[in-house]
Amino acid sequence: MNFDDEMIMAYVDGELDLVTAKRIEKAAAADAGLAGKIAAQHRLRARLSAHFDPVLDEPVPQRLQAPLNVVQLGPDKSAPSRFRVTQWAAMAASLAIGLMVGPQIFAPDAGPVTVEGGMLVASADLDKALTTQLASSQANDAPVRIGLTFRNDDNAICRTFEGADMSGIACRNNRAWQIRQSFSGTTAHEFRQASAGEIARAATAMMADNSGQSIADAEAEKAWQKAGWE
Amino acid sequence: MAIEQDILALLPRLRRFARSLASNPSDADDLCQSAVEKALLAQHQWQVGTRLDSWMYRITRNLWIDRHRAERRKGFAANIDDAAVHIADDSFERMESQLELNDVDKAMANLPDDQREAIALVLVEGYSYKEAAEMIGVKLGTLTSRLGRGREALMVALGEAA
Repeated sequence: MNFDDEMIMAYVDGELDLVTAKRIEKAAAADAGLAGKIAAQHRLRARLSAHFDPVLDEPVPQRLQAPLNVVQLGPDKSAPSRFRVTQWAAMAASLAIGLMVGPQIFAPDAGPVTVEGGMLVASADLDKALTTQLASSQANDAPVRIGLTFRNDDNAICRTFEGADMSGIACRNNRAWQIRQSFSGTTAHEFRQASAGEIARAATAMMADNSGQSIADAEAEKAWQKAGWE
Repeated sequence: MAIEQDILALLPRLRRFARSLASNPSDADDLCQSAVEKALLAQHQWQVGTRLDSWMYRITRNLWIDRHRAERRKGFAANIDDAAVHIADDSFERMESQLELNDVDKAMANLPDDQREAIALVLVEGYSYKEAAEMIGVKLGTLTSRLGRGREALMVALGEAA
C-alpha cells in the first residue's frame, strides 16, 4: 500500500484509525524513505511545540486577567483590601450598567455632574457622597454608593461610585471630583447586565500599581477623607 | 462568575494560540485581551454545555482575521525583524534558542492566514481535524489541504524537509 503525504500527516497527527496506523508503521519499518518523511513531520511538530509551548508557563499579564475580575493583590497586602475588591466587584456584577455614555448624563440639569473649567465634575448629591461617604460605613440604601477608593498613577485619590443616574470613577482634581469614567446608572434598565470586569478593569487600569497597594483599606479611606482627599 | 473563572483557566492556552497567529508577543496579548473583552460582552451567546475553549478560540480567530484584513487595507506590513526579541542574557545557548524561535515566528508569519490558523489549531493547540474544521467553519477536506500546504511551506522554511 502506498501512503501519500496526506496520510503521513494524518498518521503523525493521530488522525488515522488503529489498523491503518499499524500498517503505516509496518511499512515504515521496511521503507527508509517513508520513515524519513514521518520523522520529518515529527520534527516539525516538536519544533513548533518547543517554540510555542513555553508560552503556557509564562505569567499571564495583568491586563488579561483584570477584565476577568481577578485583580491580584500584592502578597504582602493585608486581607481587607482583598476582601473589598471581591465585595465591590460582586456588587458591580449585579449592577446594570451601560457602556453608552449618552449626552443626557451630562446635560446641565442632569444633577450629578457639572462642567467646571472644562472638566466634568461631580456636583450635588454625587459630590457629597464622594466627599463624605465611607465605603465601610455607608447606608445600604444610600442613593449613591461608594465602592473602591484608590490612588491613580498621578497619585490623585479616585473613588468608584454607583448611583441611579450614573455609575463610574471620579478622581480628585483641583478640590473637585472629576469624572474620569462613566457608565449608565442603576436605573438604566435598557442596558445589558454589567460584567463585573468592566468597572474593575477601568479601575485597575487607573491604579498607581498593579499590586493593589494603591487601594485604600477602611483605615486609609478614613485618613484620606480627614486630609480632605488631597 | 463561573465563565470568568473558566476563561481565566484558558488564558495560557489562548495566549499560545494568539502567539502562533500574531507572531509578535505584544500583538498576541492585544488580541487575547480583545477576545476576553468580547467574550465577556457576548457571554450570553455561549451555550452552557458546549465547549468554552472552542468558543473562545473562534472569537480570537475571528478578531485576528478582522484585524489582519484591516491592517492590509491600510497597507500595513508587519516587520518581523522589528519583533525580534531583545536578548538580555548573552549566553550562547540562549541566543541560539532565541534565533531559532525567530525562525519559527518568521516561517509562521509568511504563511497565508488560512494555512497559519490550520497549523496553529492542529499542530500547536492539538485539536483534531474535525474540531479545527468546525472552529474555522470549513469542511474537513479544506482543513486538511490547508494543513498540508502550510506544513510543506514550514518544512521548507525551517529546513525540516525529509
